[in-house]
Formats: sequence, structure tokens, C-alpha cells
Amino acid sequence: MKLKLLVIPALLASLLGCEEKEVAKKIEVEKPKPVYVSTYQPLGSEEFVITNATVLVGNGERHENTSVWVKSGKIKGVGQTLQYPKDITIYDGKGKWVTPGLIDVHSHLGVYPSPSHEANEDGNEMTEPVTAQVWAEHAVWTQDPGFDLARAGGVTSLQILPGSGNLIGGRGVTLKNVPSITVQGMKFPDAPHALKMACGENPKRVYGSKGRAPMTRMGNVAGYRKAWIDATAYKEKWDKYYEAAEQGEEKDKPKRDLKLETLAEVLRGNVLIHNHCYRAEEMAVMIDVAKEFNYEISTFHHAVEGYKIADLLAENNICAAMWADWWGFKHEAYDSVRENVAMVDKANACAIVHSDSAIGIQHLNQEAAKAMAAGNKKGLSLKPEDAIRWITLNPAKSIGLSEKVGSLETDKMADIVLWDQNPFSVYAKAEKVFVDGALTYDRLNKQKNPVSDFDLGIVDPQGERL
Amino acid sequence: MRLIKIGLTCLGVSVLSSVMTSQNVLANNQSNISANKNYLIKNATLHTATAKGKLNNADLLIRNGKIAQIGQNLTAGSNVKVIQAANKHVTPGLINASTNLGLVEISAVSSTVDAATKMPGAGASFDIAAAINFRSTLIPQNRINGLTRAIVMPRSSNSIFAGQGAAIALHSTMQGILSENVLQAASYGASGAGKSGGSRAAAMQKLAQALEDARYLRKNENRYLPGFKWEFSQSIADLKALYPVLDKKIPLVISANRADDILRLIQLAKTHRFNLVISGGGEAWTVAKELADAKVPVIIDPIRNLPSFESLSIRLDGAFKLYQAGVKLLFSGGGSHNAYLVRQSAGNAVAYGLPPEVAIEAMTINTAETFGIANYGQLEVGMDADVVVWDGDPLEVTSNPDVVFIQGQKQPLVSRATRLRDRYWELKGNHQQAFKRQ
Repeated sequence: MKLKLLVIPALLASLLGCEEKEVAKKIEVEKPKPVYVSTYQPLGSEEFVITNATVLVGNGERHENTSVWVKSGKIKGVGQTLQYPKDITIYDGKGKWVTPGLIDVHSHLGVYPSPSHEANEDGNEMTEPVTAQVWAEHAVWTQDPGFDLARAGGVTSLQILPGSGNLIGGRGVTLKNVPSITVQGMKFPDAPHALKMACGENPKRVYGSKGRAPMTRMGNVAGYRKAWIDATAYKEKWDKYYEAAEQGEEKDKPKRDLKLETLAEVLRGNVLIHNHCYRAEEMAVMIDVAKEFNYEISTFHHAVEGYKIADLLAENNICAAMWADWWGFKHEAYDSVRENVAMVDKANACAIVHSDSAIGIQHLNQEAAKAMAAGNKKGLSLKPEDAIRWITLNPAKSIGLSEKVGSLETDKMADIVLWDQNPFSVYAKAEKVFVDGALTYDRLNKQKNPVSDFDLGIVDPQGERL
Repeated sequence: MRLIKIGLTCLGVSVLSSVMTSQNVLANNQSNISANKNYLIKNATLHTATAKGKLNNADLLIRNGKIAQIGQNLTAGSNVKVIQAANKHVTPGLINASTNLGLVEISAVSSTVDAATKMPGAGASFDIAAAINFRSTLIPQNRINGLTRAIVMPRSSNSIFAGQGAAIALHSTMQGILSENVLQAASYGASGAGKSGGSRAAAMQKLAQALEDARYLRKNENRYLPGFKWEFSQSIADLKALYPVLDKKIPLVISANRADDILRLIQLAKTHRFNLVISGGGEAWTVAKELADAKVPVIIDPIRNLPSFESLSIRLDGAFKLYQAGVKLLFSGGGSHNAYLVRQSAGNAVAYGLPPEVAIEAMTINTAETFGIANYGQLEVGMDADVVVWDGDPLEVTSNPDVVFIQGQKQPLVSRATRLRDRYWELKGNHQQAFKRQ
């Protein structure tokens, strides 16, 4: 009723037949509020500096004998002659390496947690092919011991995605890899949501086998297009409602539709598309679907054939998130080459190494190392400072957070890993992991590391699982 | 002996050297090898997988498919190609102790998968060797990455006994079959329980009963007349397939993870007098002493550390702890498509404490010994020349093979994947160009 009162001056003006052109009084309508908001608080950090380390910045730079200074949870400086206060904590980085906290753009931790069993499978709402209304964060089990294991591997941020059984599987969420009883307590503040889409075999198998659409890749694309047509109409309806309010015109408020609302947010550029898509020609078709409906694709995930269309990816500013070497589990994953990541990178496209695995996420550095070595064996000269981008700044860009994380640059969040040696080695271990400057994992002081509820007392009532 | 017949038909020749471990051994065709060049690898670090461990700055001579000499300052002689390998490392060709190589092309395309059968009555008698496809693209992809041998396991389906596994060399012809029936595979733990009405107790009963029945049948086979109604827990064929297990000619590989499951299987092996190998072994390290005392080897993928309700104690230093207690380790990892990634798993075990030379043994000689693969698994004079020259530390993820020999044959480092790579390497936006023949 509050809204109606506001309308009155405008109505009066028109009833009185005023001739002079009046600016219609804007109607204040309720805009969607942020919901399921992040309650994440940095765990509390002291000011510290890591000295004399080999620093991989994340943006392609490498600095030897360099210090990284952290204050109030932010990078205060990176350099050889920093003027930090003498009384802050100093970690000797001699012989050690420092990188940004690793970022995995494709994880199902919490939605397909360990222990893996049917009752814990919460990533695929395979009841209809378009379920843009579901949100991964509503299913994340924060006690998944995989979070702790990933942290020990240096992962500080991760995007949790719904699965690929549907054409449009739902919203993904980016988390800070910190212990938390609630998922809100892990949510990366102000990170854009993802929308998971899937090409190829999975959706057509899931629904085709039920005698429903999509049964073919044709049906897949028809399904996306129908969804975007509906979303476009929905968005227009709301746009008109808001525009009318701007013009002082009262209109009935459209009814919210969760599915279309998410899709409309993509069209508005607020939700980023993360598209599971293996084959080159399917990626090319998806690029055209995006053009048809005026949305952007952030990233193709599992882009096993990224190397075939690396130029298209670069041209369209689309990241490719890839495994180092997985192949052959499906026909669409048959044309894998071990140089895929390096070849996409070589074409100046945004190359990312992702895990899609609760084991792989613990060894993202090794996965990147293999991809680097494969490229070098073929004649490239990729260095650690190049390959680190695949698991730091490029994934940060993919999830819309490259202004905040992904590189060790002043004023960015102090998500940092101190490695005991060159991280592009099978022997390398994350020795200390900082999230927003807070020491969240310390290999040398395991008693202080967080332990999930799951781990507690489950092996030995009086001891720890690990 | 029917198997040998297949081998002879296909391959023509029978041979001197290899492998005659059990009664079912296929001829190992070396007719190509005699035409081979001889090679001298110079100045390499040799990881011998013998008591000698690592030899620095050493030479290795390959002649007539065999390792002919190891030492320093070896001279090439005539007709020997020299491979300069300063700063390079040499290992035996690696073996993965648990794969479905040759049994799967594309996992999700069932017509290309032969790893398991649901056929009623096919349990222990299910012999996987007949299905192995040596023309599979998985063979060269693994070969060029340093894997020269593999244990091919049947995958369990309905029966608690999965059947007989084989040992192969990664040739792209039938020449690759080394030894059929090197093991019998069975399931325990949650998987075995699932095949036994839902309880481990029933699974244990089923395993014990089958072994008992097999022993009884073997002893009394002659007492039964044709047409007699046999009353056994398994088919006659399946029980007969367990004879080599009872004779300790082949091990019974049982998958199990939970500590108490493993202890009970050790007891089962004692009671029924067979050679047990544990595969999986998530919690094996917690009963490492018992495994060591019973001389039970463990097939383990050391990179696996995700807890399940039967692997709550699983951890990255599990392999190290098993080694410390004296358990023989056989490594698996990487599945079948990337069975060569057993090397990455092994590297992670080393990162968590395992001595590097022990990790190499777990990808070579330990597996050879456990499954009776003769003349393979060490850099030792007289062994088949399965030899890999690596461009760096063989356990390091950034290392790759420079040269791969299988039984003395130098392998082209080409696979379907490298062909695809080369086709697109210099593409630069010209998509038509890709389809030209190279």
C-alpha cells in the first residue's frame, strides 16, 4: 500500500490535465534483496611477512629472494626492500616458494562429499533438464573432510558447482576454504554466482534414457534455446515493471519464478556461465547460443578439445578449464591430449587447470606441473611463473574475482601458500596456508589445524583421524 | 594348454626365454626382436630395482632383447646404437598392478568394455585374457608414457570371484600376452557383502565355502561318476578355477579396505592355505604388522586418501607405513586410460616418506614377483630389456620418457593423442588445414 500512496501525485497531475511536461514521480519498488548472504569473517590475522622466498606472483611474474608482507588480511607489499615493522611475525622463506592460494573453479566438495554414498549425492537435480532454480550452496555439507584435505593442498577458494546431468543444472557458489558450521560462513563475500550448463552426453543420456527430451545433442541445444527464450521474456517482464516504476507508472508486480530469475540474472550479467563442454564443435555451437541470446560464457569446463579451437576461445574471451590428462571415460573425452592446457595457453586464451575431483583438488599444483611439462616436452618453454596462472589468476578471472584474489598484488586478499619447495614438483607440500591473512593450515603444527566434525573421534575416540 | 594353442596359432613361434610361471603361459614371440638393433645407454642414473639400488653414471647394454651388460665405460662394439643419457634416469619399464588395459576403450561405451561379466555361473572361471584387445589406443598412450607391462584384472560383477587376471606387455599385437591366469580376483568388504546378500559375514562364508568345496572336489574328483549330481556352492568350472589358488601357483587377490576385514582375510588365507594379496588396502597400514608377518603383499594406489566408511584411516603416508612394517607394496593408480600415472601415485608416496627406490620396486619387481612374471622388473643382466630412459627423476611429475624399450624393441613415442596434438599444434585458426593427412 505504501507504493500506491506514492503514485497519487502523478495521478493528480494527469487528472488535472496539466499541460506542462512534468517529470513523472518515480515509484519506489522493492528490488530483490541479497539472500543467503555470506557471513564469512576472516579467521583473524596478525601482521606478518614471509622473507627471502621465491615468489610466483600469479600474473606471470617471478621474484627471487623476495618478501611478502601481509597486514589486516591484505597483501601490503611484495618486494626485496619492504619497510615492515620489526615486531611483526617473520616466516623465513629461504629455499621456499610462495604462491597465491590456489583456486579450483570446478569442485563438488560438499555436494558430492566423502564418504561417497547415495545419501550424500546432492549435486544433480535430475528431475527435469533445466533446473536453474536449484543452488549448490543449499546442499553443501561443510563437514566434508575433503575441504580440509584440499586446504592442505593449498586451495583457498573453490567454486562448488552442481553436476552435469542437466542442460542447466543450477547455481554454483564460490567458497573460501575455511572451516565453518554453515555454508554462509564459507561463502566468498560478494562473489558472483555461477550457472552450470552442460553439453553433450550427460544430459541427453539422463533424459533420453527416460524417453524424454533431450535425447540428442539437437535436443540439448533446443533445450538451452527454449530456456533462454523464456528467460528473455521473463527479464523483459521485470524490466518493464521496473521501467514503469521509474516512469511513475504502477504495474502489477510479476510473480517470481526461481528458475527464470537465475537465467535472467545471467542475461543481466550478474551470474557467470560455467559450461561443461568437451567437444570443439559443441563449444562453437554454445558460443553461438550465447550470441543468439546476448549472454557471455565465462568458462568451458572439461574442455578436452579446447586445443582444437583455442583461437575461438581467445577471440571470444572464454576461459577453458581442463584436466591435465584425463581421457577416455566417455566418447566426448576421447580426443584428449596431454598438451591441451599448454596449447590453449599458447593461443593466448585463458587456460585453467581444474580438478572435478576430491583427490585432484589436493594436487592442483601437480596437475599444472604435468600440463606444463607436456607442453615443454613438445618444445614450449613454460616456466613455473607461467603455469601458476592456470591455478591462480586465470581461475580467479573465470569466477569474477580477479580483482580480489589470484595474485600476490598489493591490496588483494592475503590468500597465500608457503611451499616447502618448487610447487611444480611431486614432492612439494603446502607448508602454510593463509586465508585472508589467517594461518588456516600449518603442516608443521598440525595440532592447531582445523578438524571437521566428521573426522572427530571417528577412527579413535580419543585421537584424530589424520 | 588350450591357451598356448591360441598363442601358437597367432604368433607362429615359441620361445626360449620368458616367463613360464604357471601352466597357462602363452608363447612370447620374439621373432621381431632378433632383427632389432642393439643399444648402449651411456652415463645414466640407473634405478635398478635390485639390492644394488641406484647406480650413478652407469651404462646399460641391450642386446637381442635382453639386458646384456651393466657397468661403467662399456664399449659399444659394432652394430650398437649409443644413447647418450647423461643427466637422465633409467628404470625398468613400469608395471601397474591393477588395470583393465585392453578390456576398455571408452568406459561409458559398453560395447567397448569387456572387464566384467554378468553371465550366470561365470565366477572364478571367468578368464579375462580372451578379451584383451592389444590394438586398443590405451596401449600406446600408456606405453609412450613409460608403462611397459600391466596386470589386467577382471572387474567384479555378480560373483564374489571376479575371475582370472593376466599379465601383459604393452605391445600393440598379441605378442603382448605374457601370462594368462596370473591371479584369481575376489571381493570382500562392502563390495563382497553386496554380492552376498548384504553382509560381510555371508561374503566370508561364501569365500570359505568355495575354497573348501574346491579342495574337496579336487581330492574327490575321481570318486564321482559322470551324471552324478554335484552339490557345491559354486559351479564345477568355478571350483576347478580355484585349484591353482589352492596349489599356491597363483595368488588370490581380494579387495578389502577395512582393518578388520583385512585381518579376517589373513585368517582365511591361513585356514585355507592360499597366497593372499590385498588390493585396495585403505586401512591396511593400521594392520601393517599382521600383513608383514603373514607375508601378504598389498596392491595400493597411494594417492588415494578419501575416507569412506570402510577406509576411515586412509592417508597419504599409508604406503610408507606399510613399507616400514615390512609389507611388500605393489602400486596401482591412474585407472586404465592413464595407468602410467601409477608413477604420480608413487611419487606422492615418496613425498610422504617412502624411499624412492622402494617406490620404483613397487612399480616393477614387486609386481613381477607376486604374479610370477619372470625376466622382468629389474635392470639386471639377463632380464628382458624393458627399459625407460627418463628426462629427469622418474618419480617426478615433470619428467617424461625419452626412450622406451619393451623386450628390447625401441618403441616409437607415438599415440593417437600425439597425432591429434601434432595436427593442431600450429593450427593458428585455419580449421580446414587440420584435416590434411600428416
